[in-house]
Amino acid sequence: MPTDLSRLRNFCIIAHIDHGKSTLADRLLDLTHAVSERNMRAQYLDKMDLERERGITIKAQAVRLAYAAADGREYVLNLIDTPGHVDFTYEVSRALAACEGAVLLVDAAQGIEAQTLANLYLAVEADLVIVPVINKIDLPAAQPDRVAREIELVLGVPAADMLRVSAKTGEGVPGLLEALVRRVPPPTGDPGAPARALVFDSLYDSYRGVIAYVRMVDGRLAKDDRLRMMAAGHVSEAEEVGVFAPEAAPTPELAAGEVGYLIPGVKDVRQVRVGDTVTGAGRPAAEPLGGYREPRPMVFSGLYPIEGDDFPDLRDALDRLRLNDAALVYEPESSTALGFGFRCGFLGLLHMDIVRERLEREFDLALITTAPNVAYRVTLETGETLMVSNPSELPPAGSIQRIEEPYVAAMVLCPADYIGPVMELCQGRRGELDTMEYLSEERVELRYQLPLAEIIFDFFDQLKSRTRGYASLDYEPSGYREADLVKVDVLLQGEPVDAFSAIVHKDKAYAYGRAMTAKLKRLIPRQLYEVPIQATIGAKVIARETVTARRKDVLAKCYGGDVTRKRKLLERQKEGKRRMKQIGRVEVPQEAFVAALRTDEGGPR
Amino acid sequence: MTVAAVPIHRRGSERPAPLVDPGLFGVYVHVPFCLSRCHYCDFVTYTGMEGLRRPYAAALLEEAAMAVAALGPEPPVVTSVFIGGGTPTLLPPQDLARVLRRLRELLAFAPGAEVTVEANPETVEAAMAAGLAAAGVTRVSMGAQSFDDRVLAALGRVHDAARVGAAVATLRAAGVPAVNLDLIYGGPGEDERSWSATLEAALALGPEHLSAYALTIEPATKFGRLVAAGRMPEPDEDDLADRYDAACAALAAAGYRHYEVSNWARAGHASRHNLTYWRRGRYLGLGAGAHEFDGATRRWNLPGVPGYLEAVGAGRRPTGGQERLDPDQARFEALALRLRTAGGLDPDEARGLGVDPGGPGAAELRTAGLLAPGPALRLTERGMFLHGEVVARLA
Repeated sequence: MPTDLSRLRNFCIIAHIDHGKSTLADRLLDLTHAVSERNMRAQYLDKMDLERERGITIKAQAVRLAYAAADGREYVLNLIDTPGHVDFTYEVSRALAACEGAVLLVDAAQGIEAQTLANLYLAVEADLVIVPVINKIDLPAAQPDRVAREIELVLGVPAADMLRVSAKTGEGVPGLLEALVRRVPPPTGDPGAPARALVFDSLYDSYRGVIAYVRMVDGRLAKDDRLRMMAAGHVSEAEEVGVFAPEAAPTPELAAGEVGYLIPGVKDVRQVRVGDTVTGAGRPAAEPLGGYREPRPMVFSGLYPIEGDDFPDLRDALDRLRLNDAALVYEPESSTALGFGFRCGFLGLLHMDIVRERLEREFDLALITTAPNVAYRVTLETGETLMVSNPSELPPAGSIQRIEEPYVAAMVLCPADYIGPVMELCQGRRGELDTMEYLSEERVELRYQLPLAEIIFDFFDQLKSRTRGYASLDYEPSGYREADLVKVDVLLQGEPVDAFSAIVHKDKAYAYGRAMTAKLKRLIPRQLYEVPIQATIGAKVIARETVTARRKDVLAKCYGGDVTRKRKLLERQKEGKRRMKQIGRVEVPQEAFVAALRTDEGGPR
Repeated sequence: MTVAAVPIHRRGSERPAPLVDPGLFGVYVHVPFCLSRCHYCDFVTYTGMEGLRRPYAAALLEEAAMAVAALGPEPPVVTSVFIGGGTPTLLPPQDLARVLRRLRELLAFAPGAEVTVEANPETVEAAMAAGLAAAGVTRVSMGAQSFDDRVLAALGRVHDAARVGAAVATLRAAGVPAVNLDLIYGGPGEDERSWSATLEAALALGPEHLSAYALTIEPATKFGRLVAAGRMPEPDEDDLADRYDAACAALAAAGYRHYEVSNWARAGHASRHNLTYWRRGRYLGLGAGAHEFDGATRRWNLPGVPGYLEAVGAGRRPTGGQERLDPDQARFEALALRLRTAGGLDPDEARGLGVDPGGPGAAELRTAGLLAPGPALRLTERGMFLHGEVVARLA
């Protein structure tokens, strides 16, 4: 039965990774007896193994809590979990749009972090009521007063209005439940209007097909209703509607203000995208809810099977992953060096890592991943404009009028002591300082315009290491800018190796060329012939190394007692040769590609 | 020495494959005792265990009888015997003589059969040398390794350079017809100069045969452990190649023929026993850890002396394992082994192993100077040092 709107509270938790969001959610579930003891496991909301391991929430989840408040009334609290990573900012914004209130959860020992702040601004923009909570007050290093001052400065909320809790011990959490009831307003919405439901997440279940997480804004949707996705245009029938308590529990209908799920009987998450509006096909709403956006890949990389025979398996695996990941885009491409593979687009680096790990873990594929790059907007002399997401496909320099690259507006929060190193890093990455503000005496917010290409390699690692882990980062796309970019090619014995081509800023081309050639000299075994390794811009050689010809490759002794062992060694050598990629006359071991393209060991840029 | 390759393996109407050379039959006898273990050696060998030496010599006689019985009513004629180790000369010469006598009782020896005994310089003295000559030993192979005392010490050898010269003189005086010297290059403390001095000193002794081996780091050795621990560098590829080139030049100038990757001989002195391995002749293996090959199956004895003695004492051959090769493995092995030798493979033999001697692979190797010009598959000296690459490309 539909819940009385005045007894409903829809909220989410905004927190930095490790600030205790999942633990707090567990505690709320405990206190409201939403999960039986038997089913209780740490971090209930994070579903996938990968998330449990990384401790990050990737997919938003929702859970319905029944709470008996101090005023003697029963309330229904819908907790909508949000992803905690910059790659998923859009998903966060949709989850926020489904709420009236947000818990701002800040670690008492760490203070407010960049992503938290960014999400907090999103929540304020969406007119959510913010309930500030200082967590981990049980820690010896906790400085709740300092953190309270920071929040006060950022939010303009008096310290007295902030709750102090320990999600771990449960201290203060009952007070938080009360505060949610008293401070977060009940949802508004017209139960009689044509139905409009905001999809704030969707996932694919192999038995049920797509499951949409929705917030009913107006009207109602019931089982067997004909549904229309207003952006995707898809029409289907509601197989089931329900709420999470916390396991999915079917209900006859969902009414304005409620949060729950609906199973629209479709097989592809693309037909039920995050941000889309579900309406009734019989009595459709005139206008969709605002804020819908197509997922936009920001980072691109080529994925190739190490074993060429695995290409069909890779295709199948990507097709399967896409069922559950509407943001993943890919198209087949071929590389002279790596064979057949896919150029994939991701929301960001974390998204890329997650997809790659899932392919390797769940589908048992061994992959070579080319260095991640951004999409460049290239204007030709003819006036024609094209997007280039694979560096080897950049047209010849002579035909290009200009190249533009994507920029981001980045926000770095760090202790004031580290301003110097952070500015040095950002300037080294072609960053332009927008603003610098002190959040408190000790903490500073720096805003930079940075080329996205400069932060997709090791920027975050560098930031962490230069600030001893104290800095945090958030960024959002801020458009395209023209830049002096060149394509650096890498040649082995005169043959270009497409997988190593990169588009880099002119000032960094030499460093890239030198780093890449030096790296390859270490990785390419000596061959029958001398192998020159060159980095070039057009016809100009900017770096050169040489792998000298092999001189010894023989087993010194082979007598009667050795024959079996020596034959096996030679068989292995021959097998190893078969597994090498042939670039012209040069044999390159697969491991050399993997190692040369790896970005986690102080990559070339 | 010429060895006829008689075809015994036929596949359809194709040319015969030179899988097995039926004209060669050797007997290998392993004596696994040493005074001390050298730092590079991973052979089956025991230091100490003096008490086991006599029972071991006796067991060899027993095993010989069992092994020959297994050959059937018409065993092949023996073309070579090699008593290796370890240090065979740690056994008294009478014991070695007894083993050779037993083999002659059990098997027919070809006229001029090659009989080699391995020796370390420190064990060679007049009575022993005379005993070997009297027992019909035609060849003594001596582990000289280096003529630089610092290098010898670094290799863990217990003799000095002077001792090698003295041992050769003793063997000559006793009437041993031919001497081989083993040398190792690339060891710690060696440089270009000390290696050419070693080559010079070795040649001054006038050996009929010389083996020069690039130092190979085996894991189960002192060197292997030092390298794994990062306390000793692996021998450098270019250094080894420089030493090899120096050996090729010095030995060619002195009139030695380079007939296998690591072996040189004066005319008529190539080791028939070792050629038996590279031409896939058959051979018996007697003693702990010894291997044998009957033309189809490779079989080896238990490596430990106690287990060996127990099995022989119980009237069994002390088999430790065996492997029967499938046709592909046999062809691959034949190609790899034959290419080690200067004789290589003539065009028909190559085709018999499924390799086109005029194909693009061979042509590229000729252009690169690894195969000699001409229709046969023969490695140049540079090619011999890149044998692994050549085999991987042709097989």
